[in-house]
Amino acid sequence: MDIYFLRTPNLARFYERIAHDYELFVPKKTDAGPKIKCEHGVNLPADEYLLNRFQDVNKDEIVFNAYRSIEPVRSFFTHLKEQVCNYFNNKEIKPGKPVAVSGVKNCDLYSLKIQDFVFLDGNEPDPFYKARRESALIISGDCPAFKESCFCRAFDINPYADEGFDFNLSPIQEGYLVDAASQKAKSIAATMKDILVPATGNQLQEKADGRERAVKKLDEHLSKHKIPKKETLREIVLAGYNSKVWNEQMRTCVECGGCVFMCDTCHCFLLFDEESSASAKRMRIWDGCLYKNFTRVAGGANPLKMRYMRLRNRYLKKFDFFTANMGTQACCGCGRCIDVCPGKIDIRYILRRLHEEKHIQSI
Amino acid sequence: MKKNIYSPFEAVVEEVRQETPTIKTFVLRPAEPFVFRTGQFIELTVPGLGEAPFTPSSDPGVKDIMDVTIMNAGLVTSKLHAMNKGDKVGIRGPYGAGYPLDKFAGRDILIVGGGVGLAPLRSLLYSLFSDMDKYNKVVLRYGAKTPTDIVYKDLIPKWEKKAKVDVATTVDVADVNWRGNVGLVTNILRDAPVDVKNAVGVVCGPPVMMKFVALKFLEMGLAPADIYLSMEKNMSCGLGKCGHCRIGPFYACKDGPVFTYEQLKELNDIWD
Repeated sequence: MDIYFLRTPNLARFYERIAHDYELFVPKKTDAGPKIKCEHGVNLPADEYLLNRFQDVNKDEIVFNAYRSIEPVRSFFTHLKEQVCNYFNNKEIKPGKPVAVSGVKNCDLYSLKIQDFVFLDGNEPDPFYKARRESALIISGDCPAFKESCFCRAFDINPYADEGFDFNLSPIQEGYLVDAASQKAKSIAATMKDILVPATGNQLQEKADGRERAVKKLDEHLSKHKIPKKETLREIVLAGYNSKVWNEQMRTCVECGGCVFMCDTCHCFLLFDEESSASAKRMRIWDGCLYKNFTRVAGGANPLKMRYMRLRNRYLKKFDFFTANMGTQACCGCGRCIDVCPGKIDIRYILRRLHEEKHIQSI
Repeated sequence: MKKNIYSPFEAVVEEVRQETPTIKTFVLRPAEPFVFRTGQFIELTVPGLGEAPFTPSSDPGVKDIMDVTIMNAGLVTSKLHAMNKGDKVGIRGPYGAGYPLDKFAGRDILIVGGGVGLAPLRSLLYSLFSDMDKYNKVVLRYGAKTPTDIVYKDLIPKWEKKAKVDVATTVDVADVNWRGNVGLVTNILRDAPVDVKNAVGVVCGPPVMMKFVALKFLEMGLAPADIYLSMEKNMSCGLGKCGHCRIGPFYACKDGPVFTYEQLKELNDIWD
């Protein structure tokens, strides 16, 4: 294993080297509030991070994000709105300069597996996603802290990554341990011998201890939330088809679509055309199953005409469809849908309710 | 970059046939020979406006031209209905699994269509007709709202004359000239001359009609695995990626649009 020590003052230089060959995005703190007390009385950080273009950020603004960013990392691989074809001409649509994304967390890496399943597997791979994904450089980082909405460990996803990254940063005293895992990362690291020095045994121990501490703290917090185990998710969602929880929770939904757009595992999109005749373009835009016309067909029939049906559909997709087809649920426990929802609809509560109802019904 | 999966290829409208006041059949000549299996669908594009899924209604054995029978029901279809000979459209596909013809071999094939739902079945009929030695018999039952709403008015009499083929048509509401059956298509199903022990049932039409035909099939004694349904969903990408056409653990575009009742019977609200 190629694990190096990078001193904190050298982080900007590390990024500069990478920005030379990639369009680099780095974490920046956008909101540094005081700690907030969660419903279980635990003091938790309220900082928010965004992944900004390296060129647009002052060097002293670049931080190591203690947990996941506001935006879903999938946004670097399928864009909110993009052109996917010209009509009847062979003009190629260039995928653009390869991206490097720092500040990626293990929940994001889990989500990328879902995105890969959708856009790389199946009948035909998506050429845009494939080009971006293969050329990208992923720089992940351990999570020494967690947000109130974080619940990755409820689904056995760790707040640190073991795989799926090129580089991984683990914060330790006076700097970071940099794990260069991929061939791509190894060859970049080879050009940075001046700032990357081999990690010592003590530093490796410090990293392991830090990870253990983070897991322990998060587990302790999550034990209060009583979120159902991942093995039960498919069963409780199917059993809860007629549960009242769908209707109850949808009372505060304003159909903003925030939950689906901030979701790191959501992938639905809509193809539509812009302009006409010779200049006609086919666009792809993110779509969401919480919107009224998501399943409407010509003639007006709509299988998901009521809002509660659409909320239920989202859970069936994540916990039934993906478990059936991919063997794992399409939820990474990042909690972005909880943070964004103006109606305070909480996936942890819904899953807990479904679990309780299934349990009560079976008695 | 590899082949762009979102890019349609060009096809020219060669002929437009008015089937009913709201349904037209478009004869398309694709820029390149087009190969599809019966029951598979295409995305038909009006450049600049968008695309919609249709199942070709012509003989899959014919590669250079393709018929698509379309009801004027929405944004894309109304634009298509305004098209004339020489206009250009786009085609992506074919997508989906289609009808498993190998499973039909040696069987009585009971085909039930409703309204414009006869379009995909016409393609199925041609596939069967081209290889009739393989099948026991083909029984077609077709229902339309009124005599005016019957599609392929000139073709149905020709199908009736074929050996080992039995055809009956019904309308919900007759007019003064109608001498045939009146009532729902399920009424002319019971007496269909098929050996239910060795029959497959195929149905395509509006969801509520498919529901009652499927229930009738079951009542007649057909096995759930021998009942084939055409599931109409909002199929947008056709590639199992965009997420619009999910039915339980399936996507209609990738795993269907033809499903057996066996595949769907445990799922909730499949007829909505």
